[in-house]
Amino acid sequence: MVPVLRKYFPALLMLLAVISVVWAINLGTLPPADFVFNNGTEVKTIDPAKATGVPEGRVINALYEGLLRSVPDGEPDDLGRTPTKPKAVAMSDSYTVSEDGTVYNFHIRENATWTNGDPVTAEDFAWSWMRFLHPETASEYNYQLFYVKNAKKFALVELEEGDPVEVELKDRPVQGQIFPRGTIRRGQLLEVIQAVAEDDHSEVGGHGHGGSGGEGPAIYVVEFQSLDQQSEVHVYTTVDSDDDEIQSLVQSYQGETDLTKLQSVEHVLFDFDYVGIKALSTHQFEVSLNSPTPYFTELAAFYPLHPVHRGSLEKHGDREFTKPEFIVSNGPFVLRERRIRDRLRLVKNDQYWNADSVSLNSIDVLAIQSETTSLNMFLNGQLDWDTKPPNTLIPILKERDEWVSTTLLGVYFYRINTSKPPLDNPLVRQALNMAIDKKSIVDNIVKGGQVPARSLVPPGMNGHQSGYCGEYNPQEAQRLLTEAGFPNGKGLPTIEILYNTLDSHRDIAEVIQQDWKKNLGINVSLRNLEWGTYLDTLRIGDYMVSRSGWIGDYADPNTFLDMWVTDGPNNQTKWSNSFFDEGIEKAKYESDPTERMEIFRQIEQTLMDEQPIIPIYFYVSTNMVNTRIKGFTANLQDVHPLHLLSIEPEGSE
Amino acid sequence: MQVLTFLLKRFGWMIITVWIVFTISFFLMRQIPGGPLNGERVLSEAVRARLEARYNLDAPISEQYFSHLWNTVQLDFGPSFKLQDYTVNEVLAQGFPVSVALGILGMVFAITIGMTSGVISAVRRNSAYDYSFMLMATLGIAIPNFVLAAMLIVIFVFNLQMFPAAGWGDISQIILPAFCLGAPFAGYIARLTRTGMLEVLSNDYIRTAYAKGLSPRTVVLKHGLRGALLPVVSYLGPAIAGILTGSLVLERIFVIPGMGSHFIEAAIQRDYTLAMGALMTYTVLLFVMNTLVDLAYSIIDPRVKLE
Repeated sequence: MVPVLRKYFPALLMLLAVISVVWAINLGTLPPADFVFNNGTEVKTIDPAKATGVPEGRVINALYEGLLRSVPDGEPDDLGRTPTKPKAVAMSDSYTVSEDGTVYNFHIRENATWTNGDPVTAEDFAWSWMRFLHPETASEYNYQLFYVKNAKKFALVELEEGDPVEVELKDRPVQGQIFPRGTIRRGQLLEVIQAVAEDDHSEVGGHGHGGSGGEGPAIYVVEFQSLDQQSEVHVYTTVDSDDDEIQSLVQSYQGETDLTKLQSVEHVLFDFDYVGIKALSTHQFEVSLNSPTPYFTELAAFYPLHPVHRGSLEKHGDREFTKPEFIVSNGPFVLRERRIRDRLRLVKNDQYWNADSVSLNSIDVLAIQSETTSLNMFLNGQLDWDTKPPNTLIPILKERDEWVSTTLLGVYFYRINTSKPPLDNPLVRQALNMAIDKKSIVDNIVKGGQVPARSLVPPGMNGHQSGYCGEYNPQEAQRLLTEAGFPNGKGLPTIEILYNTLDSHRDIAEVIQQDWKKNLGINVSLRNLEWGTYLDTLRIGDYMVSRSGWIGDYADPNTFLDMWVTDGPNNQTKWSNSFFDEGIEKAKYESDPTERMEIFRQIEQTLMDEQPIIPIYFYVSTNMVNTRIKGFTANLQDVHPLHLLSIEPEGSE
Repeated sequence: MQVLTFLLKRFGWMIITVWIVFTISFFLMRQIPGGPLNGERVLSEAVRARLEARYNLDAPISEQYFSHLWNTVQLDFGPSFKLQDYTVNEVLAQGFPVSVALGILGMVFAITIGMTSGVISAVRRNSAYDYSFMLMATLGIAIPNFVLAAMLIVIFVFNLQMFPAAGWGDISQIILPAFCLGAPFAGYIARLTRTGMLEVLSNDYIRTAYAKGLSPRTVVLKHGLRGALLPVVSYLGPAIAGILTGSLVLERIFVIPGMGSHFIEAAIQRDYTLAMGALMTYTVLLFVMNTLVDLAYSIIDPRVKLE
């Protein structure tokens, strides 16, 4: 055998090569799509409840539809920006708001259907929002619904004695899958037994910022009313009943409840029936809020709150239901094919309520990471929309007809770690700010038409008047530094600027390094870290000054300001100010829009005076769009609903 | 029988190697700062705790190690952290064929171009052909493939407009990346073939063949090439390894959704499970390829004994 093999070996090798080349070429060829765009990266998930991020939003808004939709509406302003507004041109065709602004009643469109033919109902929304808030779903955006009555208690398992609770028994029909849930029993929480923490025993559950509340696992005593007015009492725990900590808790318990029948269950949660999310009828969906929240309509259009189809999710499970072969959705497009880190192929959904007005028949959503490659493909006609051309080429691209750009809701800023002397001195921080020539950064480094920033909240925010920090003024900066006790920078240690490895961040940091050296005599060192390490370093506060950016979720100052409350997870500057914290709370309950904006102005002024952050510039959107595409508008939120785009027929100029 | 023992022995070594690679990379990965749950927006403590529980990240590291190892033994790499709609197995199943297709085509380029120019150079020794081919071979080895890619894109995409700039799906999109991938190996193969051929052509049996009156073509292709093939085949092992790892950057430039893309992204995003899955696949693949090359070597050269 071996000699035969030996003789024909070269021929065999050739044959093998030919076969594999043929096979390789036949791998998945798709017919070209009507419209192709680069989404910048592979989407993490297309499950609305678990998604975060702009690329995910683009896809989910095409596949699913929420109560409302943010669409460009009205005439462009003097900067050429078309306003976007949440409107009832989605699953809901009208809605009412109660007089005090806390109860929203959405009417679900009668002709709205899922792709499998099922009608979209208020129940679908109630269930989807329940899933969104459910602690086990662990949705990153769940705080967006904390404006809803009791939603926070449900999501964070904040239980108090006397609360209505729902107990989910350990009998889930499908093991390892959250939905369908096990048997739910609804009762009243009589008592929570938990090892007492050092200083506080009023709160329960694994919530908040740690530190407060009881320690370790808890035992819940729940009373149930049966039909004949008899009440029975059960004791539950959400860990194994033979868990060591639970056993020692049982041993040390001094109260009168009988703990011998301790039962282990999946969850003891605040009863969802008491959360302000209600399906009143098939088409009436009611949401009750804690306080009037002027931007709630923005949230009702926000993609994490889009509904999912309960039947398919429960059948295929939390992950599998997103697969092209199983997905049931309700948006203008359906998912036809998905190739990981390559593309999503969307095709028009003929069952969409407004299908007649959807012009594109197929869309390819590409996941191109390299900005250069993406631009190459755009210039070569392979892409119709490039979402992020390379910064260095923007001055050239700006001159082209395809360029669509405007300032948007985002800010590039520096965080200052206020726990590190001498940066704990507000005077030093103000001096640092005033010594930066932001205009020169915008004109010479980023060059995309960005606007130098003197406030954190970008302009154009529904009547918000910003609070400002000082302008570029080296003399004043030197005076402040002298006042702080460091004349000409004497006595100041070297200040380190941290940024994640990227050329444009380095260039900006170098300019700031020179400005501080030249204007204040401060020595500055630069430290760049790879993205993952950078995030960790920021989180644990191992930095002095750090580059950051923030894109607003909705057109309201709150999305830029509420992160700076004391110990807020995204604060990361160790800055704390009680006037600011109170202002954020007060704004939540302020129903007069003018008053509310005044509160925001005041607290933003506090933030700018105290200067735990230095705003550098406001972002601009940078889109390259093929000129044959119609319906693409420059707008503040950089949203470009795919179902509103169309292709101009050739030769119609 | 001999082959079987050889394979069994190799398999044993492979298991040990894979285990060592698994262990080292498992702990190394958890040593570096950052983690799969970090993002630009910081998670609230409650959500972080739930997610850690879901992915078993809250367990002691030893427990994580053993449960992950046990799952790996069962060929279940778990869910991907950053591609939440997929399991690692699904990601690898999609990425692997793409990389293999690219690799094979790159290899075919490397072998055909390399051997042809090598043989011509040897036969026409010191001619203009020889010098220009060898110059090209040196350039091919010296120029990193991403630089080559940039040059080819300028020429073939923008000037000649022969190929699309990037993407994956049809034959025109695969040519440029496969060529860039194969180029340095073509260079090596050309030099190896030339050297091997020169050595063989000076042998007595070649002179005998000529003396029998055979045509130069038959002598070179039938008698000469077979002997000259040996160093090339032994180079195939490292070449395949190089092709596999060399595609990491090219996949990014040409937007090819292969293993390289997944591996790089997984490492950057701290997608522990996916990085682990890709690493294990690479390890096994390299081992298998080397074994195949050794087998092939024994087939074409009767003097080689497997052991």
